[in-house]
Amino acid sequence: MPVRCFTCGGLIGDKWEEFRSRVDGGEDAGKVLDSLGVTRYCCRRMLLSHLDILDEILEFSKKFTKGSR
Amino acid sequence: MEVKVLEAEGNSVRFILSQSSPAFANALRRIMISEVPCMAIEDVFFYENTSTLDDETIAHRLGLIPLTTDLDSYVLPEECECKSEMGCSRCRATATLEVEALDGRKTVYSGDLKFDDPHIRPVSDKIPIIKLEVNQKLKFEAYAKLGTGKKHAKWQPVAVAAYKYMPNIRINLKKCDACRVCVDACPKNILQVEKDVIVVVDPVSCTLCYECVKACPQDPSAVDVSWDDTTLIFNLESVGGLSAKQVLFKATEILKKKAEEVTKKLAVKGGKQT
Ligand SMILES: [Zn+2]
Ligand SMILES: [Zn+2]
Repeated sequence: MPVRCFTCGGLIGDKWEEFRSRVDGGEDAGKVLDSLGVTRYCCRRMLLSHLDILDEILEFSKKFTKGSR
Repeated sequence: MEVKVLEAEGNSVRFILSQSSPAFANALRRIMISEVPCMAIEDVFFYENTSTLDDETIAHRLGLIPLTTDLDSYVLPEECECKSEMGCSRCRATATLEVEALDGRKTVYSGDLKFDDPHIRPVSDKIPIIKLEVNQKLKFEAYAKLGTGKKHAKWQPVAVAAYKYMPNIRINLKKCDACRVCVDACPKNILQVEKDVIVVVDPVSCTLCYECVKACPQDPSAVDVSWDDTTLIFNLESVGGLSAKQVLFKATEILKKKAEEVTKKLAVKGGKQT
């Protein structure tokens, strides 16, 4: 998750986990963003369009880090 | 010049700067963005990194984490007496981090950074830095330094620093028949009908979009939108390291210093001071 918004530089990294879990819990993404205080559309798209690809990379790296480093 | 604060909550401030000019407001704006110093991580020394991201990527992410800034206790490395590349206690704060994922996947957060100076800490402890798979380890030492947005955007203390002209919306009551078309056309809902007369409720919110002027069925339009460029609505939102108020005060201080420098140099060159 990017730490800051690419356009305005506002902090958005710390809102990702709450956003993700609440949206996964069935809440409306727009309303979650409103309640998190993410008002500008540049920052909103950061959270809306993000895919946590690191999870998949970790799945792959598991094979190589097992046991020893 | 007059200042009227409209809103000031948390990290954002909105104020009206009247009897001023766009040139002055822009000078303030540019100083806020690129010359007000704030703290950010600049050097990172990795001792161990067996994670999936490489050192540079992690260092870049660390740099972007906004840190609370203490402008009184620190000086810019360029202005520090130590003149050392690594810095001294006057121009840097040290942070360390050591996290190993022992039983299961683990997220490393900004809150895991341990600073030697208790006044310097991440604005939020919940910023994810990286995720570690079992047995992966991350250990480093980082130096946070003061810097300005001129050099890197990570030192930009504000997310929003912008101004707009004060809108002036006039409705020609002789022509207007209160048909409501302009009221419905306004995307900011600043027009309302009161006793069969269109009134402007909240002119500050107007974005000068001219939708009301275009929507009016009268020809020429009964609504006239213009602006006053001596009255500016200034919007400021800080990232959190410095409060919006601190950013504003520091910016005026820098502007004053610059102006004084010019007068001083002019006096030297011209020989005569008035
Ligand atoms: Zn943004
Ligand atoms: Zn120093």
